[in-house]
Amino acid sequence: MKWRKVVRILHRDFGYLAFGLTIIYAVSGIAVNHTSDWNPNYVISRDSLKIPPTRDSSLSKEEMVAYVITNLNEKDSVISSFKSSPMVVDIFFDGKSYKADLKTGRIKAEIVEDRAVIRQTNYLHLNAPKKIWTYVADAFAVILILLSVTGLFMIKGKKGITGRGKWLTVLGVLIPIIFLIIYF
Amino acid sequence: MKKTAFIFLALLLGVSLTFADGGKKYGKDLTLTKTTKVSEILENPEQYDGKKVLIEGTVVNVCKKAGCWIEIAGDKDYESITVKVNDGEIVFPADAKGKTAVVEGEVFSVVPKSEAGCKGEGGDKECGDKEKGEKSENHENCKDKQVKKETPQKKYLIKGIGAVIK
Repeated sequence: MKWRKVVRILHRDFGYLAFGLTIIYAVSGIAVNHTSDWNPNYVISRDSLKIPPTRDSSLSKEEMVAYVITNLNEKDSVISSFKSSPMVVDIFFDGKSYKADLKTGRIKAEIVEDRAVIRQTNYLHLNAPKKIWTYVADAFAVILILLSVTGLFMIKGKKGITGRGKWLTVLGVLIPIIFLIIYF
Repeated sequence: MKKTAFIFLALLLGVSLTFADGGKKYGKDLTLTKTTKVSEILENPEQYDGKKVLIEGTVVNVCKKAGCWIEIAGDKDYESITVKVNDGEIVFPADAKGKTAVVEGEVFSVVPKSEAGCKGEGGDKECGDKEKGEKSENHENCKDKQVKKETPQKKYLIKGIGAVIK
């Protein structure tokens, strides 16, 4: 078998194998590239609510929680709470929290929801599972190297690495170098 | 070929499930077994400065964008301590609020810029201008800030190494 045919077979089959992970890493790459603009894992929405204020500063944390959930007619189960100052209590539910100022009756509500699919891609991309996933990701990286090298030699002629391929390859290598010269 | 691919996938899934940790552990494994109360750290911070501790408490706040810090409630009302981690090394989930976290890390202190007397951005400039001769009410404020410069208010945090969020 000619070596170029072997290169094509390797590129084709590893290309199929790498498809899923490439999409995952690319989608997550875009998502985590913009962490200064958004949270790539969650949609966090905020709301303001109002309950009748109280001046009773002797309320315990449990009494404050009861006062808030009664006045809001809240049905969700409280998982925990925190009294951050004599008149302010944080109440936590599954995926939701209230910061209630009993003196003013103002409540800041925060709802946290998963960014479907993107959160899962980030979980894998940032190697949150660790352990065996580390080796899967390493294998994927090796496959990517293999794909890029075999990609250079798949075809010959004007459109191959000796033709316009060499200019595109040089351009691809120069882009990160230029950015490194400017920013590093 | 189909059979081989199926066996490979089944094997991969099986091994992954065996080793999966549920995604509730963050960073390195916890090595300490004895927890220190947050109130104890906050009452005697100098004693713990630079020391490794294990704390446990409710997560009352999380860094919204990068998950690079969490605030853990103390065992007493009004008390909490911030756990800061290196960006990207550990990413705390935004839905950790209200859950119980066990965190191992090293206590360290910082002097917040706004409380660092007249030093730092803004403060230094403001006092510098006033000291050029303007003896006004503002100058008195500046003098107050100079006093603060001598006794800056340190804030104690924990540099998180590992955590488990239940």
